[in-house]
Amino acid sequence: MLVDSFEIKSGIKAHLIQNDIFKTNIACVLLTTPLKRETVTQNALLPFLLRSGTKNLKTQLEINKKLEEMYGASFDCGIDKMGDNQVLKFYIESINDNFVGEKDEMLKQTTNFILEIVFNTLIENGQFNEDILNIEKQNLRQVIESKIDDKDIYAFENCINSMYGDKGFGLYKYGFTEDISKISAKSLADSYIELINNCKIDIFISGDLKNIDIKGILENNENIKKLIARKPNYILNNESTESKQKVENIQEKREILDVAQGKLVIGLDILSKQKDIGIVALVYNAILGDGVNSMLFQNVREKASLAYSTKSKYVKQKANIFIRCGIEVDNYQKALDIIKEQLDNIKNGNFTEEDISNAKCYLISGIKAIEEEQDSEIVFYIGNEISNINMTLKQYIDVIQNITKEEIIEFANLLEYNTIYFLSNK
Amino acid sequence: MQTIESSKVKEKIYIEKLENGLTVAVIPKKEICKKYVIWGTEFGSIDNNFKLTKTDQIVKVPDGIAHYLEHKLFEQENGKNSLDVLSSLGVDANAYTTNNHTAYLFEATDNFYEALDEFMDYVQSPYFTDENVEKERGIIGQEIMMYDDYPDWKLYMNAMKCMYKDNPINIDVAGTKETIAQIDKEKLYTIYNAFYRPDNQVLVLCGDFEVDNILEEVKKRLKPNHNKQEVQRIYPKEQEEIVEKYKEAKMDISKPLFLIAYKDKVETGEMVKKDLAIECICNMLIGKSSNLYQKLYKEGLISEEFGYNYEFSKTYAHILIQNTSNNPQKVAEEISKEIENYNQTGFNNEEFERIKKKIYGEYVKSYNDISSISNNFLSDYFKEINSFEFLEEILVLDKDYVEKVFKEVFVEDRKVISVVLPNE
Repeated sequence: MLVDSFEIKSGIKAHLIQNDIFKTNIACVLLTTPLKRETVTQNALLPFLLRSGTKNLKTQLEINKKLEEMYGASFDCGIDKMGDNQVLKFYIESINDNFVGEKDEMLKQTTNFILEIVFNTLIENGQFNEDILNIEKQNLRQVIESKIDDKDIYAFENCINSMYGDKGFGLYKYGFTEDISKISAKSLADSYIELINNCKIDIFISGDLKNIDIKGILENNENIKKLIARKPNYILNNESTESKQKVENIQEKREILDVAQGKLVIGLDILSKQKDIGIVALVYNAILGDGVNSMLFQNVREKASLAYSTKSKYVKQKANIFIRCGIEVDNYQKALDIIKEQLDNIKNGNFTEEDISNAKCYLISGIKAIEEEQDSEIVFYIGNEISNINMTLKQYIDVIQNITKEEIIEFANLLEYNTIYFLSNK
Repeated sequence: MQTIESSKVKEKIYIEKLENGLTVAVIPKKEICKKYVIWGTEFGSIDNNFKLTKTDQIVKVPDGIAHYLEHKLFEQENGKNSLDVLSSLGVDANAYTTNNHTAYLFEATDNFYEALDEFMDYVQSPYFTDENVEKERGIIGQEIMMYDDYPDWKLYMNAMKCMYKDNPINIDVAGTKETIAQIDKEKLYTIYNAFYRPDNQVLVLCGDFEVDNILEEVKKRLKPNHNKQEVQRIYPKEQEEIVEKYKEAKMDISKPLFLIAYKDKVETGEMVKKDLAIECICNMLIGKSSNLYQKLYKEGLISEEFGYNYEFSKTYAHILIQNTSNNPQKVAEEISKEIENYNQTGFNNEEFERIKKKIYGEYVKSYNDISSISNNFLSDYFKEINSFEFLEEILVLDKDYVEKVFKEVFVEDRKVISVVLPNE
């Protein structure tokens, strides 16, 4: 559980999660900044450079050897999209001292390693290394182009882009290939400094923290000392940021690719200015399409045998629900009709108390499991942090328990179709 | 009762063979609320040909039937689907089928014993009707098509086809639309009675349990199966040689994907040691700190880590090395050259020790949660391996042995390459 959360400096927060049931420590640094067309690509390129060398671990080879020495600690970095924010994520997992022969101060090593990577990158004479930059530009290009390789994600991303266009949440988190060539070793170093001085910085440490002065480790770290206090520039993610109008015409998009199976994505808007619809939305979503007792699973899959995968997802930050399923291309209309029928059924109150209790039970057991899953626990607290919500797991469970059928019906009537996207082969 | 224990990860497993032949493994974890149960049957997609010993009848079943059975076992006579029932109890239930086993599982924070009732009941009570078997055909058909859109899957299946002539590992676990069309309720009952016998199964329970108590709870829930059949599996004798060196496919993807595979001889005995040796070799040959990786990366020939894996069972064994590249042929050549080099020079000592440390840490990590502890045990059990041996063996693995394995296994004429290219 989260035992401490404190500001090291203005805009730079540490979150300590105590857990002694795992064999590993996790240290995670998040840099959160608004998603913008002008900066998305350069920001996406930064983790590629940061993982390539620091002032003390000058090459990728040195970094990799160091990780191997740390009993194969796994280090990864990447980009996330959280609402209208772009999040640069750096993550390391190492086994803790209880499982190594000698006392290696693994947690300290792990924490210092991740801080070295993110905050002590190899910039010399105001620029990144040219050769490394050129390789990593190619790599970023490849990542952007590889969006098409996973057709489910491709279809989902394209539906989002149809709804929001090339701004904020509508942007692909890795940016645009055409912007890559404009980036120079100097301009990227400038972008890095700009980002590091202004973004929201969160440091999560999870593991057996008893008897370890983690606060001291963080505060005495040279790389942390260098950071300046800031008024963090990011977009607070919560329900009230989004206020929507009903779209005049529902967009119907069809794209053709060489696929065996059609991928249907439906984007729904939640037309509400209310602040606290988040939990009722979760319950609604569980009834509609999250889990095996949901209406989509039962009707699209089990009754009509149209799909193997059929589900819905609530995106809190943007007040959307997305429905996704993989179907035979010729069954497009049939599937769409059944999905629409399910949405109408909830609107009209055609669902049972059992559906509600199944949904609640499903959500609550998921929440209870969070504390025993190291990754999920961090993800949960990140979500809270970015939305400035201070609810504990227990409070979430209580609110879920109290949601009524009337509230769910009322919520269902706030939903409007925005986009129906189909990735097809003809 | 047998116990196996690891001082390295501080875990202990209690193993009991019950009267009816079922093996039960209990892994107690104090102070954890989650409980995890997995019930495995040694029956997978490669078991498509067998003899019923009572009648001497030889049975050949359609490809994909093990997986079809996995989907259908949830169906109950009272009209309910056990997956729905378990989900209503708030437990997370699932099932999967592999080449050599099928497993049913759930994870619970609450309602554990109610869930165990339902779980043990459905695995022991098949209920197949023409109607419910028919209903599943569309769903599994879509599952097959979903896999058809995964380039990685295409890559893997083509590599299997390159390596294996007769071993059914070269068929898709889920079968094809054509083969699943031949599946009916009679065939499902035949395989259920032939393979879902307690003596062909293992049940693993991990969580805050008292060993004797939970064994009693399991015994209470056992049911007799009067229809069970003794069987003898028939596996074709697989040639040592590969079938073809190269296969390519085209899909709408951004960059070529390739998989280099080495067909290995099936061995019994030192499997743990051999598996670890191959893991060390792959790390030193193409791992992120290897010379070759650094070189290929700087030349822009690869942009990410190689994936590598040694897959083996009682009937097949091979090494898989995977990555993406605009020039797969060149990467394959470089790897072959590097293999030749290391064959001459042997591996570096310091590097070897560092990689052993790395692998040790990775094995410790793989015991991080109750589901992976249980799943590790289950899949190793069907290979007749004690999972904990990996943690002991890695520390004492010697370089001479690793070099010997290297010379035997990474052999050019048992190498195949599978490539998936972008459509033009």
